[in-house]
Amino acid sequence: MRFLRAFLSRPVALTGLVLFAAIVAVALAAPLLFARGPFAIVGMPLLPPGAPGLLAGSDVLGRDMAVGLAYGARISLLVGIASTLGAVGIGVLLGAVAGYYGGLVDDLLMRVTEFFQIIPSFVLLMVLVAFLQPSLASTVIGIALISWPQVARVVRGEFLALRAREFVQAAKTLGLSDARIIFAEILPNALPPILVVSSMMVGSAILTESALSFLGLGDPNLLSWGSMIGGSRSAMWVAWWTTVLPGLCIMVTVLALAFIGDGLNDALNPRGRR
Amino acid sequence: MNRLHYIAMRLVKTALVTIAVVVLSFFLIRLAPGDAATVMAGQSGYADEAFVKSLRAEYGLDRPLPVQLWKYLGAVAQGDLGTSYARRMPVLEVILQRLPNTLLLDAFALVVAIAGGVWLGGLAARRPGSAGDAAVTVLSMLFYAVPQFWLGMMAVLLFAVWLAWLPPFGIETMGADYTGLARVADVASHMILPGMTLALYYLAGYARLTRTAMIEVAGQDFVKTARAKGIREGQVRRRHILRNALIPLITYAGLQASTLVGGSVLVENVFSWPGIGTLAYEAVTARDNPLLLGIFIVTAILISLFNLVTDIAYSLADPRVELA
Amino acid sequence: MLVSLRDLRVALPPGADRPLAVSDVSLDIARNEIVCIVGESGSGKSVTAHAIMGLLPRGVVTTGGSILFDGVDLLKEPPAALRARRGRDIAMIFQDPMAALNPVVAIGGQVSEQIRAHRAIPESLALRQAGDLLSQMGLKDVAGLLKAYPHQLSGGQRQRVMIAMALSLSPRLLIADEPTTALDVTTQAQILKLIKAIQAERQMSVLFITHDFGVVADIADRVAVMRHGRVLESGPVAQVLGAPAHPYTRALIAAVPRDACALPPLPQAAPLVRVTGLSKRFRRGGLFSRRADVAAVDRVSLILNRGETLGIVGESGSGKSTLARCVIRLLDPDEGAVLFDGADIARMKARGLRPLRRRIQMVFQDPFSSLNPRRRIGDILTAGPRAYGEEAGAARARAAEMLRLVGLNPQAMDRFAHEFSGGQRQRIGLARALMLKPDVLIADEPVSALDVTVQAQVLDLLDDVRRRMNLAMLFITHDMRVAAQVCHRVMVMRHGRVVESGPTREVFAAPSSDYTRALLAAIPGCGRI
Repeated sequence: MRFLRAFLSRPVALTGLVLFAAIVAVALAAPLLFARGPFAIVGMPLLPPGAPGLLAGSDVLGRDMAVGLAYGARISLLVGIASTLGAVGIGVLLGAVAGYYGGLVDDLLMRVTEFFQIIPSFVLLMVLVAFLQPSLASTVIGIALISWPQVARVVRGEFLALRAREFVQAAKTLGLSDARIIFAEILPNALPPILVVSSMMVGSAILTESALSFLGLGDPNLLSWGSMIGGSRSAMWVAWWTTVLPGLCIMVTVLALAFIGDGLNDALNPRGRR
Repeated sequence: MNRLHYIAMRLVKTALVTIAVVVLSFFLIRLAPGDAATVMAGQSGYADEAFVKSLRAEYGLDRPLPVQLWKYLGAVAQGDLGTSYARRMPVLEVILQRLPNTLLLDAFALVVAIAGGVWLGGLAARRPGSAGDAAVTVLSMLFYAVPQFWLGMMAVLLFAVWLAWLPPFGIETMGADYTGLARVADVASHMILPGMTLALYYLAGYARLTRTAMIEVAGQDFVKTARAKGIREGQVRRRHILRNALIPLITYAGLQASTLVGGSVLVENVFSWPGIGTLAYEAVTARDNPLLLGIFIVTAILISLFNLVTDIAYSLADPRVELA
Repeated sequence: MLVSLRDLRVALPPGADRPLAVSDVSLDIARNEIVCIVGESGSGKSVTAHAIMGLLPRGVVTTGGSILFDGVDLLKEPPAALRARRGRDIAMIFQDPMAALNPVVAIGGQVSEQIRAHRAIPESLALRQAGDLLSQMGLKDVAGLLKAYPHQLSGGQRQRVMIAMALSLSPRLLIADEPTTALDVTTQAQILKLIKAIQAERQMSVLFITHDFGVVADIADRVAVMRHGRVLESGPVAQVLGAPAHPYTRALIAAVPRDACALPPLPQAAPLVRVTGLSKRFRRGGLFSRRADVAAVDRVSLILNRGETLGIVGESGSGKSTLARCVIRLLDPDEGAVLFDGADIARMKARGLRPLRRRIQMVFQDPFSSLNPRRRIGDILTAGPRAYGEEAGAARARAAEMLRLVGLNPQAMDRFAHEFSGGQRQRIGLARALMLKPDVLIADEPVSALDVTVQAQVLDLLDDVRRRMNLAMLFITHDMRVAAQVCHRVMVMRHGRVVESGPTREVFAAPSSDYTRALLAAIPGCGRI
């Protein structure tokens, strides 16, 4: 396929894909590799990386950092992907309907997205998560709720532009139903920007989740990269690895997704093609 | 259309939107399980039924929600945002105390982000596909991918702990009681680390956007016209390319306002910066509902005003846009 | 000679459809003459012009030959000298004046900038000179214009501003790259007249790029015909038009539509569509600003008979397209009735409309946006019949047959739209419309995006299909010559109203309104080819 070749021929995109695949592999393999789980205490606290049996050292409670990092990947990916799916689902549906029909639906949607634009979304998220009780589900729901307007705006814009195209008018004169026109005629043409936004959104959802966990608003029963950093704040001065390593994990994951998004963008919109 | 008339209409709209924000956040907060009285009673370690009841009566929590909302709206209209549960102080007073600190930090970050981003983006757009372009692109992706709070911690580790160039936290040196210029310098030195941490993330966005916009504008016909006129290349870039490429940046700045406040929650937290961000975090953990509502109202008004300013700037930058 | 191109070669970037955009082109432009390069899209005419200007797009480079300007080879000049020459010795105007002017700089600033790039004079003096230039171009209210922005001007005004700018330093050569293609026909005639007058007055040379032999006949002293990057023939305009030597030139000239062949009106009339008092207004403005209604179509009535073609002719903004979209109910008319086979479909609800809808079909203008880029041609053709319940296999069989009817290979079914040329796409668009076996076909500028030779083929096809299927055709066009070729009757529209209507031959021979007369007089090359 031409698109796939264009995507894979870009070194940046390929790097992103390989990195992301590696992270996914680690996340999937974590329970097989470290069956005792991330909370097991394995030795003295704050042992540096390279100490016997401790690839990445131990944390303030004497837990194996490497195990924590591997399990943290599970949380990050799960939250990133689940909340993006939620946000894309809501955003595509509402954006498509608003962009295609215009009028009242569109007005309403625009008011709602304006509302999200003037409310500090992270504060809103903290309130949502704190009041729903911090948990994996509340994190995912909260992030999806504050993220969908962004998808809706993109989709609406695409639909607004595409509905004026002559092939859409032709579909109307052929007597196709609205649902068919929206989903079978327009949506495939709007997919490239949706894909790009989605891949970027997985990254920003991972960042948001880590921020929540860092502030202690994540699921208290799970160890994530953010909560590892948050829990080691006091040890940062004496044991750099406790904060540096989880942060690097977050950065590499988000960077991989950004590379993928960039590659998608370039492969889907090659400059100079009509 | 008349610009003053437009501004007046926008202010009316801002007021309406603010009311919507109040109503929505009011319900959002009240719908949460467990009301503030139980939280407060729990905090005082004095949880018997009669005490909770008296607290409810004191704060009017025993009345039906619509009545509470109506009373609250009436008070807000008179500038009374209620009393903070946790601090036992008027909410407005608490917020106004912290607000200037956040505005200072955000303004610094925004200026650095826009200036640096436009400069880097312009550099990258000069030769698309070159090594310099790739470097700027990767750098901006890196800034985007770094968790802000972690970047802040790393900055503290590097510049405050290991190099000891800059103070690690706070807004001024405790107990130093500087005055005049010395105080300005003190605050400035405290502001550099959190300000730069906050700025880098947004800088990445501005750099990417400037690059894309400049490359796109450079391909348009009027740039060819400018070259056909025999104008010097520098002037073609400044007057024709950059000037048109800046227009989407204004929209972006408007959209960024609400995330800037969110971003400062984390950065202020890491650097113990006494601003609205730390205040919001404290309000969430303490379930200080009146304070939370107050923060929503004040930030919504501020962001609306900022959006108004960017819309006016947009209409000034692009004569095709009519304010309506 | 002012300009001599000798064996000019311009290479395209690797991966283009051919290695050379321009191969071994030699061309002379004498002082005080207008030379036209005429050719279809992809002929290399525009690349040649840009090569002289030294403004080739990224990746496109001159690889051989010379461009002598007043004895100096421009290809050997250092960039700084070339830059100083641009605008001063050689100036250029472009096809789309809206895109060619900077949208955020006032007109005065753009014209004075050109002057000040080459002369050290204060801004105020440059602005005064700019004002003088604008009034020389026949523009009114110059003081206001200098402060205005491009979007506030009409198309004709913008092109006059472009010309004023180009002439501000009295260049010896003016290159005009399709400068009237984006303009209405009456405006085009004015701009052509202006360019010719200025050329004569200033005794300068003009290199004029066009695809239209009508324009050539109007303006050129000498012509060069280009195809696939080569000059096929060149010579004085009378010689090339009167006795074309190359078969391609003959084909091009033959393809220019002429009014001589207008179809006679059909003898027996069987009305199929009857539109009465149709109006459509568009609302401008929003919640807080004053609303203003603009009547795009204003109380228009028409009758369309079975088997005939009714042409609706008008310039941009005449409401012709809006009218067509109201008839097919892509837009909802505000007033009036559209009686189709006895039923008023103007206000019919979606459910009632559905069975009637398939009987009115449409062919669109833009061959690039009228076919869904993500679906195969087979799916595009069968979507309509399938929506009305036709079985997939039968629909595909009919689609193959229909492709043959419009002159394409049925294997096209498995391919995507981007694999076809503009003319082929219009054929596919026609096949899509015919799949539903309509009684009425609305053709909205179906050939205006096509090269002239392709145009002629598609027009022939449309006429052939109309005859075979006994279609009633509503043919929307801005081009009087095209209307003359395929329409039995024409209706001339302006500002949403009908100016005049009648049998094509009568309207062309003896127009009753001044506007129609002006439109006919503005036809490029009128009576000369």
